[in-house]
Amino acid sequence: MKRLWLNVRLFWQGAVLSYIGMFHWLRPSMYFSSKVVGPIWQVMFFTFLGTYATGEDTADFYIIGNAMQLVGINGIYGVTMSIAGDRYNGTLPYLFASPANRLVMFSGRAVVHIFDGMIGVLIGLAWGVAVLGLDLSQANPAGLLLVILTVAFSTSGLGLLMGSLSLITVNVMLVNNLIYYLMLVLCGVNIPVDRLPAWVQPISSILPLTHGLQAARELVTGQALSHVLPDIGIEIALGLVYGLAGFFVFRWIEMQAKRRATLEAV
Amino acid sequence: MKAFRYTFRQLRRSARAVLITTEITLRQIATDGFIIFGLFIQPLLVAFLGLWMLENKGGDYAIFVVVGSSMTGLWTSILFISGISIMEERWTRTLELLVATPTPLFLIAFGKNLAYVAQWLFSIVFSYTVVSVVFGYPLEIRQPVFFALSLGLIVVSFICFGLIMATFFLVNPELDRWKNGLEYPVYMLSGFLFPIALLPGWTTPFSYLLSPYWAARVLHATSQGTADLREIVLTWGMLILFSILYVTLSLILFRKALYKVRVDATLSQY
Repeated sequence: MKRLWLNVRLFWQGAVLSYIGMFHWLRPSMYFSSKVVGPIWQVMFFTFLGTYATGEDTADFYIIGNAMQLVGINGIYGVTMSIAGDRYNGTLPYLFASPANRLVMFSGRAVVHIFDGMIGVLIGLAWGVAVLGLDLSQANPAGLLLVILTVAFSTSGLGLLMGSLSLITVNVMLVNNLIYYLMLVLCGVNIPVDRLPAWVQPISSILPLTHGLQAARELVTGQALSHVLPDIGIEIALGLVYGLAGFFVFRWIEMQAKRRATLEAV
Repeated sequence: MKAFRYTFRQLRRSARAVLITTEITLRQIATDGFIIFGLFIQPLLVAFLGLWMLENKGGDYAIFVVVGSSMTGLWTSILFISGISIMEERWTRTLELLVATPTPLFLIAFGKNLAYVAQWLFSIVFSYTVVSVVFGYPLEIRQPVFFALSLGLIVVSFICFGLIMATFFLVNPELDRWKNGLEYPVYMLSGFLFPIALLPGWTTPFSYLLSPYWAARVLHATSQGTADLREIVLTWGMLILFSILYVTLSLILFRKALYKVRVDATLSQY
């Protein structure tokens, strides 16, 4: 019982403190710039570009796509940096030296970002309704929330994998930016997946967001939740696969770093 | 004659300071993942996104997209890199040393910005080569002489724009935290990838106040062969006008900013 309580405390404190440390909450402007102001411009830019390409009646496609893709800010940048930050701030050796349960500690890094990522998508959709005239009158709100949750989960799974890989590269932001932009290109955010080159489509199908985005678009047009359950299931499975892969990479790096005495190498 | 010789010597020293700063900065950023992404990879990904999204537009859409996506890389570079060119000296604790040297900080900032904008020229060539040679899109610059001359003016104009950004960030470190929200608005207001006519009419005056708008306008026009003499004179005139304005303003701002941070004892504060 005591061990369970310790793990719950570790999970919760690790989750909250890593999140607080990242956004420098003493100065909330960083949060508002990255999560509230910046995202609306991304949604607007691609919506204008998209409607310039395919006509004004396709605006909803771009608004939903780009609003959903905002989970990447938390799932990719946030989760990755919450792990990479330990390396850069010099706290990684303390974590590796502690007897803390690694799975609890590792998964805790993603949990606040999952919920904050959901908030980011909701902000994006709210901007879409208020400024760009997105019509959500046919949408199933509970179903849409569930889809947003699963996309935030799967993206954070990829973020955990990227975070682990960030422990062996000095160019963390290069990797993060690359993944974030590849999601913009490959996940059906701005171009329907079936219009991408044939060799790209299998890659799209194993990336987080692709299936969730498809589900979200269908729910907004009034489809029943049961219709999109397979897509939701795939998103959850992808999140688990990426998250577990990230955990095993993390453990492997820990062992290698201890064996080779490279724990504090930056 | 003596005065002339003194002025010439001063100019030579200034040019040397600028070029050495440029060389060192180029060496530093050559392996910087963030800059490599911003100047080479991001414009390429935006180009592919644009090429796939705008493929039904017909005409010279491919060169329009390549030029526009390169401009996104340049603006990202100016915003995220030029803006912090002085701030990063603060972070590495070298700003005090630079301020104390006889070489004006303005020249150091100029040299750094020259390096960033020079690297952007490589990025244009890179994007052009990948899109045209590797992926086989037909890319033709219809007015190559005007295009090349426009690039020269744009280089100067963006260096000057970078100087203004550097002073803003120097005086107000809080601005650094807001830069994430400044990237896409300029993409839109400058018409990099779609005409500004799509935006609400009240935003047009803001576009006219941005030198990136005039830069994108002349590059799009000369690459597509639609630039007549009137258009060339207007866009080049605006680029020159903004360059003079930015340099004058940045000289004043640098002097005032350095005075202020000394008086307030905030030179090292961030």
